[in-house]
Amino acid sequence: MKFYVNVRYLIVPFMSLIAILGILFGGSYTWVGVGLFALNTLIDTLTRNIHLPADFDDSGESYGIKKLQYSVMFFMLPVFIALQVVLAYRIFQYNADAPIVISSFLGFSYQAGISGFNLIGATISSGLWAGLGIIYGHELSHNKKEGFLVSRLIMALSGAAHFTYAHVYNHHLDLGHEDDPATAPRGRNIYTHAWLSHMGQSRFSYILEQQRLSKRGSSALNIDNRWILGYLYSLPSIVLFVWAGGAVGVAALFSVWVIANFLLEALNFMGHYGLIRKDGPVEHRHSWDNDSVFTSWFFIEIGRQCDHHVRGETYFWELDDVEGPNYGIGYFSLFVITLIPPLFRAYVQKYLDNWDEKYASAEEKLIAQKFSH
Amino acid sequence: MLNFFRRSPANFEVNLTESDISFNVKRGDSLLSSALGAGVPWPFKCKVGSCGKCKCRLVDGKIKPQLDFGYVLDISEINEGYILACQSVPKSDITVSVNLNENKVSRK
Repeated sequence: MKFYVNVRYLIVPFMSLIAILGILFGGSYTWVGVGLFALNTLIDTLTRNIHLPADFDDSGESYGIKKLQYSVMFFMLPVFIALQVVLAYRIFQYNADAPIVISSFLGFSYQAGISGFNLIGATISSGLWAGLGIIYGHELSHNKKEGFLVSRLIMALSGAAHFTYAHVYNHHLDLGHEDDPATAPRGRNIYTHAWLSHMGQSRFSYILEQQRLSKRGSSALNIDNRWILGYLYSLPSIVLFVWAGGAVGVAALFSVWVIANFLLEALNFMGHYGLIRKDGPVEHRHSWDNDSVFTSWFFIEIGRQCDHHVRGETYFWELDDVEGPNYGIGYFSLFVITLIPPLFRAYVQKYLDNWDEKYASAEEKLIAQKFSH
Repeated sequence: MLNFFRRSPANFEVNLTESDISFNVKRGDSLLSSALGAGVPWPFKCKVGSCGKCKCRLVDGKIKPQLDFGYVLDISEINEGYILACQSVPKSDITVSVNLNENKVSRK
């Protein structure tokens, strides 16, 4: 049981490495990362009705091995770096007009040189898998001193180092309230939310730093400003891509960041869309659970939002079903629906109606009524 | 120099100044989670170091902060020894002053 509980969370590391190998092998293999994403959507949809609780032994202890899971999360930093390096390598070849020929390295055949079409595949693959850095960046942002910097560095690879502070000091405190940019109010679509949430969290992080530094009598324009420092952590990526491909490199990195941040904000969108909190502590009812089996394992239980927001200090492998609001399907399946806003609104309406009736407090119901007019 | 190789005890004892309550903290666990596990009605809300509701004053002993307290506590509070229980891992036996009657509910 211990082996099974720990191995099931290795899907993303395993698939990320395959996506990297795809870009290295070149040719149509550069699209492997995109194909894996589509395959995951299919698996998630087919297994949407399977929901499993967290596994504990007879004494109530989790089977999760903390050192192993932490090692994996730390290991993902070089994996995400490698994802950018291999893309930069392909951009360099494209920009240098390297001939597209079959070559060999240590007995393995690969395609040297790359076409514009396959470079697009490599870029989208990198963006999709870089976006999954959120699940490690998120987990490491909570309560774990040594992991906090790793979280920042992982998020910086997507130009989003501000997330780590905004998530802890804004999202967890102001969840379900208009002060939380990461909570999407009813009626907002995912595209608008991605932009507003990203900018809102960055703005919050800046103000947070400004206040922290002003308590010490320091100016916000300071290298000790962690908002500024976070963006500086992204500089190596910018330098790498500018060096590798000039304007093409910048366009590719920008695309990777847009895709990655869109996925990040999609998780925020799906986790809290339309839920309302007026006063009092965060409760299970202020989040949507997405805990179908593939989503749980792939996203290292980040979908167990109801439990996570009440027990923010809890390791992901200990999070459990708390019978909170639940869409009933996993993140991949729901993500596809959110991409078509009218379809998403139609899909989510019955769940919101159920939330208003079963979960909302009297004050929260009053606010919900304003959105229905 | 040999102290470097000495393993710290598996548990540390926490004593509260305003009461005769004491409890143990397993090495590596946070002060708040251990207090709640021992049935102490410690005030808390977010458990991730952002609300400040679990703040207390370290009177004696050593802790390792897990996050920067400077976002929630004032410089003067930090200088007076205030810490956030949810983000403090004891590194020795400690004595702490906390207001266990602080249970007012507010959004922030």
